[in-house]
Amino acid sequence: MGWMRRVTRAAAHRDESSARTHPAGADAAAAPGADAAAAPGAATPAAPTGTAVVVGGDALVGAPGPDGDRVPGDAGRPLLACTDLTKRYGDRVAVDGVSFSVGRGEVYGLLGPNGAGKTTTIKMVCGLLPPDAGTVSLDGREPARDAAARARVGYVPQDVALYPDLTAAENLAFLGRLYGLRGTTLRERVAEALALTDLQARGGDRVGTYSGGMRRRLNIAAGLLHRPALLVLDEPTVGVDPQSRHAILGRVRELGRNGMAVLYTTHYMEEAERVCDRVGIVDRGRIVAEGTRRELVSRLGEQDRIELTATGDLADLAEQCRALPGVERAAVTDRGVRLLTSDGRRVLPALLEAADRSGAAIDSVEVAEADLEAVFLHLTGTALRE
Amino acid sequence: MRVLAVAGVALRRLVRDRTALLFMVVLPVVVILVVGASVRGFSTFRIGVVDLGAGPSGHDLVAALERAPGLDVRDYATAADAARAVARGQLATAVVLPAGMDRSLRAGEPVDVAVLAEQANSSEQAAAAQVAAVIAEQGGLVQAAVFATDQVAALAAGTDAYAANLARAAAVRPGVADVGVASEVVDAKATILPQGFSYSAPTMLVLFVFLNAVVGGAAVIQTRRLGMYERMAATPTAVSAVVAGETLAAVAIALGQAALIVGIGATAFGVSWGNPAAAAVLVALWALVSAGAGMLAGTLFRTPEQATAIGPSVGIAFAMLGGCMWPLAVVNEAMREVGHLTPHAWAVDAWTALIARGGTLATIAPQLGVLAAFAAGFLTLATVRLRRSLV
Ligand SMILES: Nc1ncnc2c1ncn2[C@@H]1O[C@H](COP(=O)(O)OP(=O)(O)OP(=O)(O)O)[C@@H](O)[C@H]1O
Ligand SMILES: [Mg+2]
Repeated sequence: MGWMRRVTRAAAHRDESSARTHPAGADAAAAPGADAAAAPGAATPAAPTGTAVVVGGDALVGAPGPDGDRVPGDAGRPLLACTDLTKRYGDRVAVDGVSFSVGRGEVYGLLGPNGAGKTTTIKMVCGLLPPDAGTVSLDGREPARDAAARARVGYVPQDVALYPDLTAAENLAFLGRLYGLRGTTLRERVAEALALTDLQARGGDRVGTYSGGMRRRLNIAAGLLHRPALLVLDEPTVGVDPQSRHAILGRVRELGRNGMAVLYTTHYMEEAERVCDRVGIVDRGRIVAEGTRRELVSRLGEQDRIELTATGDLADLAEQCRALPGVERAAVTDRGVRLLTSDGRRVLPALLEAADRSGAAIDSVEVAEADLEAVFLHLTGTALRE
Repeated sequence: MRVLAVAGVALRRLVRDRTALLFMVVLPVVVILVVGASVRGFSTFRIGVVDLGAGPSGHDLVAALERAPGLDVRDYATAADAARAVARGQLATAVVLPAGMDRSLRAGEPVDVAVLAEQANSSEQAAAAQVAAVIAEQGGLVQAAVFATDQVAALAAGTDAYAANLARAAAVRPGVADVGVASEVVDAKATILPQGFSYSAPTMLVLFVFLNAVVGGAAVIQTRRLGMYERMAATPTAVSAVVAGETLAAVAIALGQAALIVGIGATAFGVSWGNPAAAAVLVALWALVSAGAGMLAGTLFRTPEQATAIGPSVGIAFAMLGGCMWPLAVVNEAMREVGHLTPHAWAVDAWTALIARGGTLATIAPQLGVLAAFAAGFLTLATVRLRRSLV
């Protein structure tokens, strides 16, 4: 329970805009999890990445944000810089010229649907997969070739990777040894990682006896063991109950606040909104937009997102909706149709008529303010979760 | 250090695996017991002798067979009668002594002594092997006598120098029991074979250490499928250290199992493993061969289930071909050659030389060389493939 409480607190005092503007650079060096090389004030997570990802004529990255609140120039290099990463599997381009950077103390999210190329990107970042083109630089070093660079990265794979027939502590001790930890330090770090994920009471149990959520937490603990400068989490909350998920997200935020750079992938919009300072929206191997939540959403102007929960011919319903004035986008979701409209309330009557025409039965209608889900719909014409 | 960490985890996981431990320890001991008891049960072997007019040497041979421990010798009139009795299982095996054998031997001509046995039955073949060994030994005496007679005959035209020299050769028996020479004379390609536990313990060592290693290849597949190699690759650990660690663990497991079988064989079954230095080198090389084969299996099989399903069949097939189930002395020339495509045959040959013929490092050097080549080949292939398949 300990870490649940801590996490709740961390989440409660979260202030997104301040986190974005002052990315915890000052307390980075003092924090236990901090990267020793991080000089105070050097962290400029929102610094221009030098990549211009142009979507529909809008340059969303590469130029100072509209608020002018970024630190321009090259005073502080980001900890992780990926440039034009490309990976092909046969004819399929899994990752297509992806560039982004993550600063110290920043939580950067890659948000995208299944198959968008998130895992492939992360494997290239961690040096597990050689890119066909592009470079990965961790403080000027390449993890694929440089063991010292890998030593500063904590990798939390999408699928839990642990020995089920060993205890949690044994698993952690093994991985700790591979990170060069020994003796008392190793024992301390194992205990610390177990405590951090609230597993200290079960450290002596075999992982095979763990619940799915506990395994996920241990999977994360294994990535934290050596106090990495960069923590890379690949969809760490899949299959985790809401309580544990809440806890994990809170923990990640806290690590970011304490100066750790975090690269976080997810296909859950709420997670990206809650945990990430900046988000790169990934679709079909490309980053189609990048920025803080506020920046991304402000691109949409005064648009509303409408969720129709419906049954019937959803594809036809979406088609009918698209033809309506004021409807910018309409995409089928697993429960109905998601729309992006210039004025939600004004379109509603027409929507209901359209539903009538297509013979779909509408169960509920929800009008929400623009969010990342709406941004994704705007950029790709599809729903994040289909 | 990271190599040791990788090896340590592999060993720790093995210790946790009760089934694997059972197969490693208990099964070999049980099989050594069973096979050893049955190969020792020579007292129940009834053998037939068909004397087609072989003369005095034939009588000597029959006498030698009767002296041999655990052989019950019966006379048969014709080869057909004896063959029928073998086919019906009334005889374990039968020996046919050709007419004029004595004359041919004195003249130094090769003689064919037929040993009849059912190919399918391993205990009959064990009996046949023992008979062949007696014949070969007798042949050694005969050849020594012929040699001595030739020498003496040049000096003086002795009356029956051959008979005297045969007796003299028998008196200095240990010095002339060179079976390789003997087999040329009587055309029975037999060697002196270890019996009882002295046969079953080393052959089962060869069989089980290899089989266990191949099945153990499943651990490598499992580790890969768990995503652990990928996780290891994300640490500062070099892929070569991971490969070295896994190999080290496989060798340690094979060595441990071999040491256990040697220990149990020596203490519980009274097996004398021969020249200690030679035996140690042989055990070590066999551990390397087995570990290499196991690692290779780990890269060839896709799923752990494949390894546990196919591994034992491969291990047992190699063991059969290589003379772990019955001595290769009892199979035909072609099968013997095929058998020597497996490392098992070379290992069993080396053990036979060590245990039954007091061999030394020098004696088994050729076999050790072949085994070293097998080990190097397996390990190199496995390393190359493992490096590629780790992530
Ligand atoms: N080893 C591989 N061989 C062939 N294609 C692959 C391989 N790995 C990934 N791909 C393809 O690359 C694309 C991107 O996959 P990736 O795993 O990076 O997506 P993802 O964004 O992580 O998706 P998810 O949310 O489902 O985890 C997909 O089309 C996938 O089929
Ligand atoms: Mg993925």
